[in-house]
Amino acid sequence: MSTVQVEVQGLTKNFFDQSRGEINAVQEVDFECRGAEIFGLLGANGAGKTTTLRMISTVLQPTAGTARVLGHDVVSDPVEVRRNLGFYSASTALYPRLTARETLTLFARVNKYPAERTKSRVEEMIERFGLGDYAGARIEKLSSGMKQKVSIARTVVHDPPVLIFDEPTVGLDVLNALDLQKAIQELRDDGKAILFSTHIMSEAERLCDRIAIIDKGRIRACDGLGGLRAATSQHYLEDIFVHYVTGNDTTA
Amino acid sequence: MNRRTVTALVINDLRQLARNPRVLVFAVALPLVLWPLMWFLTSLTTERRQERIESRTYTYAVADETANVAGIADARAWLERALAVVGGDGRTGGAEPADGPAVRFERVEVPDDVAAALDEERLHVHVAWETGGDEDLPDDDADREAVGDASERVPRIVLSYRADLDASDSAEGFLRRALQRTRTEVREQRLANAGFESLPEDLLPLERIETASEEQTSGLLLGRVLTAIIVMMMLAGGSIVATDALAGEKERGTLETLLTTAASRVEIVTAKNLSILAVAFATSVLNIANIVVWMQLDLIAAPAGLKLVIPVGAGVLLLLLYAPAAVLLSSSLLLVSGRSKTYKEAQLLFAPVMLIAMAVAAIPVLPGVELRSAIVLLPIANLGVAAREILTGHYDWPLLAAAWAVTGGAAALLARASLRTLSAEKLITASDTDAADLAGGPALFPRRVARWFAVLWALLLVWQLNVGGGLDSRLLIVINMSVFGAAAWLMIARYRLPVRETLSLRNPPPAAWLGVLIGAPAGLVLADGVVRLASLAMPIPEEWIEAMAEAFGADIPVWQMLVFFAILPGIFEEIAFRGVLLHGLKSRLRPVQLVLVAGIAFGFFHVDLFRIPGTSLLGVLLVIAVLRSGSIYPAMAWHALHNALALGSARIEQIQLPDQPTWWHYLLALAAILLALRLMRQNHQGASRPAGSGPEGRVPGG
Repeated sequence: MSTVQVEVQGLTKNFFDQSRGEINAVQEVDFECRGAEIFGLLGANGAGKTTTLRMISTVLQPTAGTARVLGHDVVSDPVEVRRNLGFYSASTALYPRLTARETLTLFARVNKYPAERTKSRVEEMIERFGLGDYAGARIEKLSSGMKQKVSIARTVVHDPPVLIFDEPTVGLDVLNALDLQKAIQELRDDGKAILFSTHIMSEAERLCDRIAIIDKGRIRACDGLGGLRAATSQHYLEDIFVHYVTGNDTTA
Repeated sequence: MNRRTVTALVINDLRQLARNPRVLVFAVALPLVLWPLMWFLTSLTTERRQERIESRTYTYAVADETANVAGIADARAWLERALAVVGGDGRTGGAEPADGPAVRFERVEVPDDVAAALDEERLHVHVAWETGGDEDLPDDDADREAVGDASERVPRIVLSYRADLDASDSAEGFLRRALQRTRTEVREQRLANAGFESLPEDLLPLERIETASEEQTSGLLLGRVLTAIIVMMMLAGGSIVATDALAGEKERGTLETLLTTAASRVEIVTAKNLSILAVAFATSVLNIANIVVWMQLDLIAAPAGLKLVIPVGAGVLLLLLYAPAAVLLSSSLLLVSGRSKTYKEAQLLFAPVMLIAMAVAAIPVLPGVELRSAIVLLPIANLGVAAREILTGHYDWPLLAAAWAVTGGAAALLARASLRTLSAEKLITASDTDAADLAGGPALFPRRVARWFAVLWALLLVWQLNVGGGLDSRLLIVINMSVFGAAAWLMIARYRLPVRETLSLRNPPPAAWLGVLIGAPAGLVLADGVVRLASLAMPIPEEWIEAMAEAFGADIPVWQMLVFFAILPGIFEEIAFRGVLLHGLKSRLRPVQLVLVAGIAFGFFHVDLFRIPGTSLLGVLLVIAVLRSGSIYPAMAWHALHNALALGSARIEQIQLPDQPTWWHYLLALAAILLALRLMRQNHQGASRPAGSGPEGRVPGG
């Protein structure tokens, strides 16, 4: 069995908002993710998925609890955490005036990928993601499908063992979404530990080895699809989700 | 810090800029054309205006020719003579006057409505005669009689014109100067005719010899404006990148991408600062080179007396001197960019930054501002004044180092603040406020205290520079103490601070009073040593000593001296500094940092340069006294006693400090201070409780 790559224990994040007062965005979340595994965080909008992933990626500071990536603590060793991490979300944009090749080179460098291997790694990524014809074109000139490929390539260009995909298919058409899902599966097959958040049941059902259902900042259930089915006597993930979130049995 | 990461980020920023043709055209190329063009057009317009003034024929009319007033014939003759000089009656003037060119004047009939004719420019200047009016008469009756009646008094020539119309204004100027010259000539002629032996112009001849070298004169001209020009160009160039640096990244969504990479926050901020500096430097060099080339081509003229030549040594020193200013400016721009949510907001916020920076950079233009003054404490302005002095050949090394350190310190603070901006969660989320921000009150005060005292210091500096020096020292102290008291009260009220806890209003251990009696005189001796030490690098001028002696002079009664200069500062400065400031900083700094920061801040509030070392030491000792005793009262007594002894040592021989203290004086003083501070130590078992209060008085120990 693969080793644990990401460990999250009692992770909590509270925000204070002028109009709403204290918001408990994430409350005492525990989970772990191993290599060659896609761990899904399934929840509605505002459930706390993105906040959890942002804490793991060190962009946000936890109010309490710990998160470790390959044993590096997100608070005390954030740079090492990020060096071992690739973060992809719908809100992580690319520099429009760089070419695809320049983008990959830039992110390999800032992620401290070995200098002598950067060039070959960039070419490898260009080939793997089928960017050859467009590698010299500026990002602003590319189609959204091509941009998405460049985005995935820049997420993995420094060969991190852990990848975070935060609602990656938001705003993509069906074909592009399927391409992305295929790429994520291939990365899992390469041995990467993948944290994947979504609110789309079919995606979670198709991709995730284990799923954590998150609601109002708390994890309500965490298991493989088979385990969740057995625990709830529900077949469809949608029904399982409703079961945990509302406590209602939709098949009655 | 990883150099490869920083380089990659800088290259990325510059690449983004280089590939944005709109920015390149409007922010880089256009100024290169517009600056010299504006300069060229200004000089061309001035030249054309001068030509028009000189080639124009001006019209004048002379009123009331038949007036039969004594002396009017003379006045009319003078007018004719003046017109002959400037070129009256349609002919060009003969000899060119010393202070202007020959111009043409043409006489026209007096119009019915002079005001309308002037307005319509049918007439440029109207000449009339007037006898002296009664308002000019002497008050004394005998003198009035001597002057005689109106018909006998000397007439005066009255020129009517329109100052808002170019031609009329010029005509009046030419005619007035010609008349004044004529009057001088006539007066001298009359004196000569009356037997005056020598002409007035031969009396007390004056010769001026300029001893400043050409380089010094030119250096003064250049030094006055150099900092302002550099700051303006750096800001204009730097803002091109700064806007995009954080605000642009936020708007594009690339900031989160960047923040999730292995680049540390320090590397990102360093790279952004380097990008700003690189572009600011490059555009400044381009603009300056551009202007120099235009000057070399004689397309634009350099200001008279200005030589754009700086000796190599001075040039290197200036570069070194401006380095912290450049970092300060780039950090300010980055800070603004980081605090802005959008590109547009960043552009909007740059305007006040530019205004403030320009106002500070323009200070070297002011006459009489020297580096050896409180100005050395004002970042950028101090380097501007330093640059002016360097360019005129004056090298005040200790003050140059101090100016560099002050601006460098400010740059470091701003760089740190911009680093903190990157850690702010509002970069990513909408809700970044935490409990302290939301609730305000005492929890928020530690974050705001530095801001309050910075504003207070700036106000005090401005006040001291502009008004303070001219006031009676007693009034000055009352005003200063009122400001400290009011500010302390405002902070306590605004943040709902618990008064007793904030001001450490507790009973001190009884031995603390003995500590005060030992510590205050010993502190004074030690402060004397610090001042002497500082004077090795920064000699105290005699004028300063005289000014201090005058301010705390012997004409002030002793009781007033004690009240105004010992008791009032002992109460109000302690409330502000060892009360509110110390309370605010306590939770944010480690003990040693706390003592140094709170103590030296007190010294800097004595904005007079030569008082800072001694008062900083006093500040440090008083902070320790409060921390160890847990009470502000011993510090108040120590402060008052210190001031009283300091004043007394100047006035009462018996308590005068030794003229030439030796090292053992200071060693003894240091030992006494240590003993005094030891005596201050509060009894942790005992009742260090708020005076007259319940049991909640646990105090932090020193």
